[in-house]
Amino acid sequence: MNHTLHIQLSSCEGAVIRALGLIERRGFSLNSCSVSEADGNGRVMKVSVTSTRPGDLLKRQLERLHDVFYVELKPAVISKLQPPGIRPISRRI
Amino acid sequence: MNPSTHIAPALRSGSQILIEALERNGVKQIFGYPGGTIMPVYDALVGSGLRHYLCRHEQGAALAADAYGRVTRKAGVCMATSGPGATNLVTGIANAFMDSVPMVVITGQVPTALQGTDAFQEVDIFGITLPIVKHSYIVRSVADIPRIVNEAFQLAQGGRPGPVLIDFPKDISTGMSAVVDIAPAAPLEARLPDATALETASKMLSQARRPLVIAGGGIAISDSVEVFRQFAARTGVPVTATLKGLGVMPTDAACFVGMLGMHGNGAANHAVQNCDLLMVVGARFDDRATGHLAQFAPSARIIHLDIDAAEISKLRKADVGIVSELAPALEGIRPERKANPGWCAQCAGWKKEFAWRYDAPVEGIYAPKLLRDMSQAHPEGLTITCDVGQHQMWVAQHCEFDHPLDHISSGGLGTMGYGLPAAIGAKIAKPEATVVCVSGDGSIMMNIQELATLKRYGIDVKILLFDNSALGLVRQWQELFFDGNYSEVDLSDNPDFSAVASAFGIQSKSISKPEEVSDAIEWLFNTDAAALLHVSIDPMDNVWPLVPPGKPNHKMMRSNPVKGR
Ligand SMILES: Cc1ncc(C[n+]2csc(CCOP(=O)(O)OP(=O)(O)O)c2C)c(N)n1
Ligand SMILES: [Mg+2]
Repeated sequence: MNHTLHIQLSSCEGAVIRALGLIERRGFSLNSCSVSEADGNGRVMKVSVTSTRPGDLLKRQLERLHDVFYVELKPAVISKLQPPGIRPISRRI
Repeated sequence: MNPSTHIAPALRSGSQILIEALERNGVKQIFGYPGGTIMPVYDALVGSGLRHYLCRHEQGAALAADAYGRVTRKAGVCMATSGPGATNLVTGIANAFMDSVPMVVITGQVPTALQGTDAFQEVDIFGITLPIVKHSYIVRSVADIPRIVNEAFQLAQGGRPGPVLIDFPKDISTGMSAVVDIAPAAPLEARLPDATALETASKMLSQARRPLVIAGGGIAISDSVEVFRQFAARTGVPVTATLKGLGVMPTDAACFVGMLGMHGNGAANHAVQNCDLLMVVGARFDDRATGHLAQFAPSARIIHLDIDAAEISKLRKADVGIVSELAPALEGIRPERKANPGWCAQCAGWKKEFAWRYDAPVEGIYAPKLLRDMSQAHPEGLTITCDVGQHQMWVAQHCEFDHPLDHISSGGLGTMGYGLPAAIGAKIAKPEATVVCVSGDGSIMMNIQELATLKRYGIDVKILLFDNSALGLVRQWQELFFDGNYSEVDLSDNPDFSAVASAFGIQSKSISKPEEVSDAIEWLFNTDAAALLHVSIDPMDNVWPLVPPGKPNHKMMRSNPVKGR
């Protein structure tokens, strides 16, 4: 299942990475993400995620972060995306 | 204010401001270990009102702060230097996170200008700990310190408690500011239950034929033990407890069926599998408690009470979720009648049928019996801290607790090495308590250096060390589920633990025969300082019952089918 969430969060150091880290760690793979300045207060992060887990659970997990002010869960759509692939190890390093 | 008498606030260093902010937040004791980047803070510590306990490993400091936080229900504080000092704290932070323990962690950091350059002892502890903190800060301005410290305590202690990290760069600790102090923040506002949900829950309880309550760690965390007991008495609903819920009810209370889960009591597991309504109070459906989740409490409707909205329907769908402080929720749930007497009688029957027995055919010292006898010989109550392994499960099964905070056990993380530092933290938090650390020969070695902390500060902790010459719990799993293919679990070349204790200046005694037990236990409790009793037991002893991995809770093994014990 695909979920889209709009997350309003503080512009404090670490807020974005904390929210993104939580999303993946709680079992939602990230399809797309954009971060922009919110009018007046903090930032807005728009994410689209895929998971077998319910989107409202992710919403509540995000809401307990101190940096997060508000989460809006958009209606779910059925995913056409493939599960995330494995990237071959680059020999550049 | 009359401008002529206005005195500009004095300039103070960041370290001074930090220490004073800690004091204003009620901190009296702190656990830590110094080093390069935290040196300015250690400098400001001298002459302050804080008592610092030097542990001998940062992990010991973090775990001691964790236990201190559990017992006092106020944030335990630990601090360490950047780099290896900070990474050594990580296990303790995770331990506090998993068990919802209030903790404030202060780490030194390289100066701001050097961050991101791989400076000496630079690690991104903020990044490393992101998934295991409730919140964290990197201090960017000296003037922010009073606000950040206040917030850290408010967050660590409020709602569902947890660890909060403050990363403190060296230029901030030495920088000067005229910032004025601010009063500690008020506790977070209590969240109250939704009236409709309470009504629905009351109705469901009234209608249930076979209701059961799971009492979790949240009850003690929210200081709701008394209210919970009143609820249980008023409704008559049978109660089971998670590892962290043990102590909410006296073991011999008629409606209490014991601990559920992998090493739970048969009565609890049968009750939970047969109930038609399960009210879960401050617990989170951990896999060690539920067994195979899909088959857990298969015919039960669920009422879930928790302060954390994200726990509701995380693992098992709740028919009613009540997100609230537990006490007002428990007070507000009022079924029309008491629980069905036939069901209560059935639970009482199971309790009798599955009562622990102490007549196992063992030749040596039988740890469960020793623990039961020790516990019963101290009706005034002991505070027992545990390490992790078979001995930890035996404590949960066979010791009796007047209150959940008398049982300090690493539940969520299962941290070997927790017991000794936890005993230090618990004894400092509650000097009048008799504190016993029950440990294993594997676990004790994980933080053995803290014997030096016991000695230095004269902390009177009794250590009961069960030595089965093995990583017993792992050995048991290899015996049962890996065809006895023992891999790296043998500890038969253990050091002489009595001699180790003596070398640290801790009195000690070793026993191996059943007839030595009662004198040795008496000796342990009559010593007037820290002491270690080393008890050799049979390496092949197992913890029973056991719900095999992937099985539902009522499919308990009660012995090894091959050898019969
Ligand atoms: C830090 C850590 N490493 C590994 C484990 C896995 N583990 C769980 S119990 C156990 C054995 C513990 O041995 P001991 O302390 O002697 O206790 P016993 O089971 O023998 O009573 C191990 C290795 C753990 N829980 N924690
Ligand atoms: Mg052992």
